[in-house]
Amino acid sequence: MMDTLSASLKDALKKLAGKAVVDRAAVDELVKSLQRALLSSDVNVKLVMELSKAIRTRSLDEELPKNTNVREHVLRIVYQELVRLVYATADLKLEPQVILMAGLQGSGKTTTTAKIARYFQKKGMKVGVICADTFRPGAYDQLSTLCAKINIPCFGDPATTDARKIVREGLVATKDLEVIIVDTQGRHALEPDLIQEIIDLNVITKASHRWLVIDAALGQQASEQARRFHEAIGIDGVIITKMDGTAKGGGAMSAVAETKSGIVFIGAGETIEDLERFDANGFISRLLGMGDLQALAEKVQEAQAATEIDMDAMMKGHFTLRDMYKQLEALNKMGPLKQIMNMLPMGNMQLPEGVYDVTSTKMVRYRILMDSMTPQELDDPSIISSSRMQRIARGAGGTPEEVRELIKYYKMMHKTLKGLRGAAGGKFNMQRLMKRFSGMQ
Amino acid sequence: MFSGLRDRLQAARNRLSASIGAAAEAAQPADTVKTSEAEKAQSVAKNPTLADKVRVLIIERELVVSEKDIAGALDDLEMTLLESDIALPVAEALVSDIRKGLVGKHRKIGESVDSLVVKALKSALLKVLGSGFDLPTYIKTHERPVKILFTGVNGTGKTTTVAKIGAYLKKQGFSVVIGAGDTYRAGAIEQISVHAERLGIKIIEHQTGADPSAVLFDTVQYAEAHKTDVVLADTAGRFHNKSNLMSQLEKIRRVMKPDLIIYVDEAVAGNDAVVRAAEFDRTVGADAIVLTKADMDSRGGAAISIAHTIGKPLLFLGTGQAYDDIVPFEPEAMVEELLGGGPL
Repeated sequence: MMDTLSASLKDALKKLAGKAVVDRAAVDELVKSLQRALLSSDVNVKLVMELSKAIRTRSLDEELPKNTNVREHVLRIVYQELVRLVYATADLKLEPQVILMAGLQGSGKTTTTAKIARYFQKKGMKVGVICADTFRPGAYDQLSTLCAKINIPCFGDPATTDARKIVREGLVATKDLEVIIVDTQGRHALEPDLIQEIIDLNVITKASHRWLVIDAALGQQASEQARRFHEAIGIDGVIITKMDGTAKGGGAMSAVAETKSGIVFIGAGETIEDLERFDANGFISRLLGMGDLQALAEKVQEAQAATEIDMDAMMKGHFTLRDMYKQLEALNKMGPLKQIMNMLPMGNMQLPEGVYDVTSTKMVRYRILMDSMTPQELDDPSIISSSRMQRIARGAGGTPEEVRELIKYYKMMHKTLKGLRGAAGGKFNMQRLMKRFSGMQ
Repeated sequence: MFSGLRDRLQAARNRLSASIGAAAEAAQPADTVKTSEAEKAQSVAKNPTLADKVRVLIIERELVVSEKDIAGALDDLEMTLLESDIALPVAEALVSDIRKGLVGKHRKIGESVDSLVVKALKSALLKVLGSGFDLPTYIKTHERPVKILFTGVNGTGKTTTVAKIGAYLKKQGFSVVIGAGDTYRAGAIEQISVHAERLGIKIIEHQTGADPSAVLFDTVQYAEAHKTDVVLADTAGRFHNKSNLMSQLEKIRRVMKPDLIIYVDEAVAGNDAVVRAAEFDRTVGADAIVLTKADMDSRGGAAISIAHTIGKPLLFLGTGQAYDDIVPFEPEAMVEELLGGGPL
């Protein structure tokens, strides 16, 4: 299911590649497959509609930035719009605080309470937990068992049915501790008595944080529930649980949009350590079923920067080892060549598999060799004599043959770029460059 | 219940009717005027052949619903279904079903547009929801003890559902024993034993961390020895993508040989409901579904999604936190309610 969605998303993106102007039909298609991907991930329907409208308008109206092709342009807009929705990470300070947990039945509040206690404990805080769930049988047993495992004091009284009383007493009992987490009973927005109860608990505890726990599988209902909880106690953070299943957590995105807060933690597993800080990029990739969206957006940006350097060097008609070093550094930052080639809009160019790996390991070697050169040698490679080669090789822990190979590579690059300047009118022709590359191996 | 979905379906029905109505208007701009004239002509005319001609031409003239007429309304309907938490593939299947039911239909001018639309919606929904499942009758007609195994992911409400069904069956006059098969989650055994104690139901339990198969095997042994009617086997929540936990469930099934496997999920679940229901059905099987937390949600899309995906009947809806907050599911009644009992 998800695979076909991300495939159709990629197809739609592919259609944008190589276009000189933003094509309305292609953008529409992209927006449509994006909508489908987000809807299947349970993002709120209205939110999806707003989002896709913004993406369409921005894609069509915004001027194409220099050195950017249509695909990159649209991709960046998609990414920015998505990140804008979830980027606000809720602040998390290591200071004395009271945290009130809220959420629907079965969303994983109790387990998460113990996980958060463990998180603060590992950060060196003195943590205490109060069990204010007086309704569900076994709730106190569950929390106290979990707390006992990590030596955290757990206050509660399974015999009492008054949550307010327990919390009042619990606050007194835990007053010497720094972080106090109050676990509450599961409730939903259509239960007025329980909503009143959590409003009271919020007043009693003067909670510094009120975190809403959302099951990753929660569907369209998330918006509504989050809104009601927000109205009642002012949610300032969302925790997504059960991310170790196959659910995408789109409901949490709706909840974040509704409460104007951020995602604090992600729970992904049944053991007490299975709690992670939220990572917007990973989350979006999962939502869309595209593993490399952020990497792609960033790499495209870096690739542009790298191209600019090359352009400068080439236009000056002056290409030294220093320029090559910069270029290799830029390429290295972008990751394996193969990945870059897949991301850049290169049309249907195919390179033999082995070429990529050899090239990228060679590149690392080249950089090490260049690190052992003097500034004069970098600026003017022609002065590198055989004794200089010896010295460079020794400094880099290599052989003179390697240095010779590097010089050969430099000469080839130099020639290639010179040729490009004439033929392509200064436009960087990666395709031809890569041909030279592969010929070299 | 599901009032939200009902309202939305009503709106969709109106839009569909309007679209078809508009198409009809376009086809015959002066439809009503002509009809009345025709009626007049019919009553007054001396020449019967002319009256017949007019009648055939106007009153009994058929209108063919074309795909174009209803495309917009169907798109709206799909959004409506998605907003109601019906998973994307299911919503698509439903809409295409309704489209098939409408496009190419010859509608007589005399027939109300509304009834045509309702008919299409109703048959599509009923096809998905299937027939209900009558648990008391099932128990009566099968050899006792009837062993029922409850499965599902974490936090859907399996333990509460076991307690509720226990209370329901006890009220129906059956003897019940519960097996505390969730030996993993802290506090789970305490939770189910408090429920059992309150309801006066016998419970078989081991220590936390024990082999759930062993607990449930003992429960079945107890039931056979004491001629108990029904065994309700609780299990720990597990995710369908954890193969070790799924094979544990597989082992439980092998050991206790349940007559019924009931898959429990929540009504508020979104698209993932489809994925996990299908996976549970594939690995350990599912004979019926219980949908919990239906009071939380006025949309009820998960019911339709899950039913459509694994094609198994819905047994009960959980509608609250009390023991009697459980409603046997009747598809006919639900569809009737959803469509507001329109003319049929």
